[in-house]
Amino acid sequence: MYTGRQGLTLFTAIFSLVGVVVVVQLWLLSAALDAALSGEGGLAVPATVASLALFLVNAGLLWYVLDFDERRRRSEAE
Amino acid sequence: MADDPKPPVPRWRGDFPIRWEQDHYITRRELTKFLTLGSALLVCATGAVALRGRRFRPSGGAARRIAVVGDVPPGGSALFRYPTDGDPCILVRLADGRFVAYSQVCTHLSCAVIHEPGSDQLHCPCHQGFFDAGDGRPTGGPPQRRLPRIRLEVRGEELFAVGVEV
Repeated sequence: MYTGRQGLTLFTAIFSLVGVVVVVQLWLLSAALDAALSGEGGLAVPATVASLALFLVNAGLLWYVLDFDERRRRSEAE
Repeated sequence: MADDPKPPVPRWRGDFPIRWEQDHYITRRELTKFLTLGSALLVCATGAVALRGRRFRPSGGAARRIAVVGDVPPGGSALFRYPTDGDPCILVRLADGRFVAYSQVCTHLSCAVIHEPGSDQLHCPCHQGFFDAGDGRPTGGPPQRRLPRIRLEVRGEELFAVGVEV
């Protein structure tokens, strides 16, 4: 059984986390671009892997939010 | 018994049909989806940098004659363009007589660096950046990256630019 207040708190936390992860990805992109312009193109590969891992975290969090909403809707309907 | 009349709907409701709570609820979830999509795009952009990183590295073009050895005294400098006419470069003859050449574009914000006669230092006057003329490393001010180095060859009495090292 989930309440709207629980959902709001949880979603606020997840929303903040997603925002922070996107900022970290932006930093990774700028670091990779800076390294590539310095002639150190090899640094962009681990940056891409890290960015992909962060995207998977974001996708997982989004999936959790959508699933939470769905479960809440179902429990309200019962 | 008459039914309670419903309160009239205010006219502004037509312009703002979404209730506050509803708007809050929908917008933040949509923004989370948008952020996740942006997250995927950032992965693609970082991957594109990784794949095409080598293209940022200019390798130089054909050899180009840039100066005559005797024209540049120790402690002096000369300007030239390499590998294209749109790429300004600077040739420096160090105090010990060696020739070095670099891109003249500052790695901070792309101002033109200049050589201070008699010194082994390059100076960017826009933001007070300094580079070591011996190897192009930044020695002061905001620049963090070394200047791209131009490979030189001496053929007889003439100096040729033959490549670029980032």
